[in-house]
This record gives sequence, structure tokens and C-alpha cells, in this order.
Amino acid sequence: MKLLIIEDEQGLRESIERYFTEEGIICESCADLQTAINKTSLYQYDCVLLDIGLADGEGFTLLEHLKSNGKNEGVLIISARNSLDDKLKGLNLGADDYLTKPFHLAELKARVSAIFRRKAFNTNNILKYEEISINLPAREVEVNSVSIVLTRKEYDMLLYFIANKGKVISKNAIAEHLWGDEIDLIDSFDFIYTHIKNIRKKLLDAAHKDYIRSVYGVGYKFL
Amino acid sequence: MKLSAQYSKVNLIIAISILFIAGIVYYATINYIANDQLDSSLVDEIEEITRYVNLNQRLPKPMDFDEDQTSFTPTDQKTMPRFFFDATYHSPREKSTEAGRAISGLISLKGVNYKAVVVISKEATENLVQVITLITLVLTAILLIVLVIANRYILDGLWKPFYNILQQLKAFNISDANTLNLDETEIDEFGELNSAVLSMSSRVKNDYQNLKTFTENASHEMMTPIAVITSKLDTLIQDETLKSEQYAQINDIYAATNKLARLNQSLLLLVKIENNLVQDTAILNLKDIIIEKLHQFNELIQSKNIGVIHTLADKEITASKYLIDILINNLFNNAIRHNNPYGTIRIYLTNTQLVFQNTGDENRLNSREIFERFQKSKTSEGTGLGLTIAKNICNQYNFKLSYDFETSLHTFQIDF
Repeated sequence: MKLLIIEDEQGLRESIERYFTEEGIICESCADLQTAINKTSLYQYDCVLLDIGLADGEGFTLLEHLKSNGKNEGVLIISARNSLDDKLKGLNLGADDYLTKPFHLAELKARVSAIFRRKAFNTNNILKYEEISINLPAREVEVNSVSIVLTRKEYDMLLYFIANKGKVISKNAIAEHLWGDEIDLIDSFDFIYTHIKNIRKKLLDAAHKDYIRSVYGVGYKFL
Repeated sequence: MKLSAQYSKVNLIIAISILFIAGIVYYATINYIANDQLDSSLVDEIEEITRYVNLNQRLPKPMDFDEDQTSFTPTDQKTMPRFFFDATYHSPREKSTEAGRAISGLISLKGVNYKAVVVISKEATENLVQVITLITLVLTAILLIVLVIANRYILDGLWKPFYNILQQLKAFNISDANTLNLDETEIDEFGELNSAVLSMSSRVKNDYQNLKTFTENASHEMMTPIAVITSKLDTLIQDETLKSEQYAQINDIYAATNKLARLNQSLLLLVKIENNLVQDTAILNLKDIIIEKLHQFNELIQSKNIGVIHTLADKEITASKYLIDILINNLFNNAIRHNNPYGTIRIYLTNTQLVFQNTGDENRLNSREIFERFQKSKTSEGTGLGLTIAKNICNQYNFKLSYDFETSLHTFQIDF
């Protein structure tokens, strides 16, 4: 899987690259629009992370470039501008998703995975991870060919965990994924604990394996 | 009062006063001329009498001199200047009294001096003055009527370009891309007004555009560093050699960063609402939105064992879904956060109002300060902007959001 990260903020670019590279994904990155256009003209990427506000122009230009060259890279816009206009413009120009800064790397990873899944949808709509197999269109989960029933939030959480397998995910990131900014963090931590407890028990019953490990009160890790 | 009415009023007052003064002067002049004429005929009369007395050596009988009334009184005075005065004239034929004009003079007959008084009727001249006055009044009335009508039509016509500009200014919307469409006018003042209004509107729109750009830039500039902090923290926690105390500190940084991001988003949202930048209005069913939010907040409500009682009628409003979501979210958050465990939330939606009531603190809150920025209780974990945002969203759509404390319930009421 090949990923291009276009982001002018060095600190953020490096964090993203590191977070994704550890997964064995090939990451390339650049800080400006011109390099990005050159790179996408020369190589084929599976997914492009695109910042809108770049030093030498707006990221929309790249979207237009990809569109006019008939490229079908998945594009995820990462923008500091939480503007409906920008969002609609980006999606109309062929972007697959729009994520507003600041975001958690786990959230970014989950969104990128979703774009991959959508791209591969026609050939493969079963997501497999060890004993777990998820039928994405039907939202059904089987462990060792035994179906288990998950609530909507548990299902969302499982997909989120699988997308970030092997990573420590902070409770903040999980809370934002499940509830957005609708409720306060402090309130949501208790709910996360309850959901994790339930999902852990269901997987343990079906697979006789504990997938989720708690990390010092900061978050959880899916193994 | 309209300008044309004000102008007509002033115009009428001036016209009436000048005509009034002119009338007085006119009347006095005519009267003076008429009297002068009478006086000269009176002089003729008295001279005729003098000639008669000198010729006939006797005083004339009253009927000898037309209809004039002549009287003679003996007097000791040797000289007497001729003297004119107004007197009463007794008309012998009509047996009535009329206004008259008299002259007195000295006549000598056989060494005896007489004071002769001749009175003639003024009726004819009075009639003349009356007729002239009447004609003047009629002319004045016609003049005034014509003046009023002419003023009204001419002024209305003249001010038409002004009302056109006014109407366009009333309909002026800063976020509208259309420019003003002002009619050409031949009048210099309105031409100047047109160009001033046009340049002002384009300047305002330009400023507005700058503000919008500033808002977006501010958002970008602040969100990017926060994004860097968050991503670094996300990377940092992957290092599992950290000690639990260090994780505890990372947790605190996470919380602070999260709060910073929320605060920034809230402030930007406030700027957006205050500058009317959120415009994606649609027809929304408020009942559906509230029911949806009830599901979303269900976990939170249940965790505090709060009982929810709601009576919801169908109510459609035209507003931005984005803003109404935020409004209802903030009301729910407020009602849940400041509630007691095992407390109550009551929600009423009717065609005219939406009411959120919740149990909580036993004391009434300050209803004026509660909607101000950063007014929050010491224990609150919120940004202190939630109710300010709610109030601003309500203002945007001319809803009235108010707070009351009745029967131990904190009540937030929106009147549509």
C-alpha cells in the first residue's frame, strides 16, 4: 500500500509518516503543491493525504490535476478550515473524505482504512483479522465462524481498533471517534470503559483470546 | 413625518403668514385711498356750502345738499382747522345707521361763526373693500390648494430616486453577491448619493470579505499547532517504556489540548455566527432533531440516572441544520451537565416555543450574566461559551432565548 502525505507543517507530516510507516505501508511525503503534482504525475498511489492550505497554493489544485489526468487515487483532505464550503468543494472535486485539524492519528488511520476498503469494495467486502471476520455491507461479525452480536458503538469501535491494530489508542481518540464533540471527554471515559468491557467479553467468549489490552489509563491497544 | 409633509407644512405656514400680512397691508391701503377720496369730496362739499352761504347769506337747509347730512352749530372760536373723522351716518331713506365719514369746518355768516359738520355715507366704499377682500380670499384659497397639490406631486416625483435608494439599502445583504442596482438620475444630489452608497456598499463587502478570510486564516493558524501537539502525543504514547506517572501527565496534556481545540472552535463559531457566515438554511423539523439528539445523549442521560419527560409537537423552522444541531446539543449538554444524579429533564416543544427544564443547583442563576462569554460555574468543565453560542444562534434567527428559575427547575425557553 502506497501513501502520499502532502502537508506543509513538518511536525505533523513526520508524525503521520511515522505512524503509518510502522504498519509496513510505503509512505512518501512532500510539503508543497508543485512537488505533489510532480509526484502524482510520475507514480501511482493508493491514497493521498492532502492539506488544503499549502505554502504555494490551495490543495484543490491537486484534486483538479488528478481529476483531469484520470487518476483514481483515494484522497483524504486534512484541513484546518472547518468550513462547509471547503468540504463540499473538496468532495465535489473527487476527494473521498474530509478531516478537520486537529485530529488523532488513530482517526486518520481509520479514515484511510475506510477509503481502502471502499476502493477494494467490489472485490472484497469481508474484513479479516485473525479469527475475526467482518462482513462490511451487512455489518455482521463472526469469530471462528460463530456470529457475535455487537451494538452499533461496539461495532464502530471494533473497526476502529482493527484499523489501528498494534497501536496504543488514547481514550481521547476513541471518545472523539464515537461521540464527536457532542459530549465532554470526562463524561465519555466511563462509557468507553463500559463498551470496552463488553466487547472484550464477547470476543473472549467467542475466540478465547483477549484482544484488548489497557495501557496505563491512557488508552487501549488491540493485538 | 415625511420630508414632503414637513416641507408642505413649512411652505403653508409661510404662505399663509405672508398672505395674511399682505391682506392687512392691502386692506389698509384700499381703506386709506377710499378715505382720501371721501375726504376730498367732503372738502368739495364744505366749499360748496361756503359758496352757498356767501351767495345766499343764509344757512342751507339739510335737504339742499343731496343725501349728505349737514349740521351747523354756533361757536365762539375765530378759527378752526378743517378736521376729518369717522362718524355715524343716518340714512333717511333706509332708516338705519351706517358707517360714515365727516368733516368739520368753520363758516361765517353775518359776523357769526358756525361749526359746520358734513357726514357722508361710506357704504359704497365699504362694499368695494368687501368685494375686493372676498376676491383676495378666494384667490388666496385657490393659491394654497394649488400649492399643496403641486408640492405633493412635484415632491413625490423629485424624491422618487431617493426612495428607490432607500428600498435597496433596506434590502442590502452583506453576504449577498449581488451589487446594488440604482437608477440613473438627472439630479446632482441623488447622483452623488447613488455613488456614495455604491462605494460604501462595495467597501463594506470588501471589509466583510477580509473578515471572512481573517476568520479562516486564524482558524488555520491556531488549529495547525494544536494538530501537531495532538499528533506528537499520539506518537508519544506508542512508546510503552514510559512510566505510569508519565502517562498520567500525557493524559493531562491530552485533556488541555482537547479543551484548547474546543475553545478555539467555539470562538470561531461565535465569530461565524456574529458575522452571519453560516447561511445553509433549510426547512427543519425540530421534533425530529430533538428525538435524534435524545438517542445520542441517551447514554449520558442514563449514566446520571436522569429521567426525561418530553412533550413534542411537530414544529418546522427555517434555519441552518449545522447551527440548530449545535443549539440543541448545547441545551442538552447544559441540562445534563448541571443536573443532579436521579434528576429530571423536561422538554416541551410547541408551535411557539421550546422549553428545556432541568433540576440542579438550588439557587437561581443570574439571568443576565448566564449568556455572557466565559460565565460558568467553577466546577464546570465546559468552555463557558455554550450558552453564548446558543444565544447567538437564537439571535441569528430572531428567536428569543431566556432563562428562568421556577419551581426548583432551571428553565431555558426559546420563543420562535
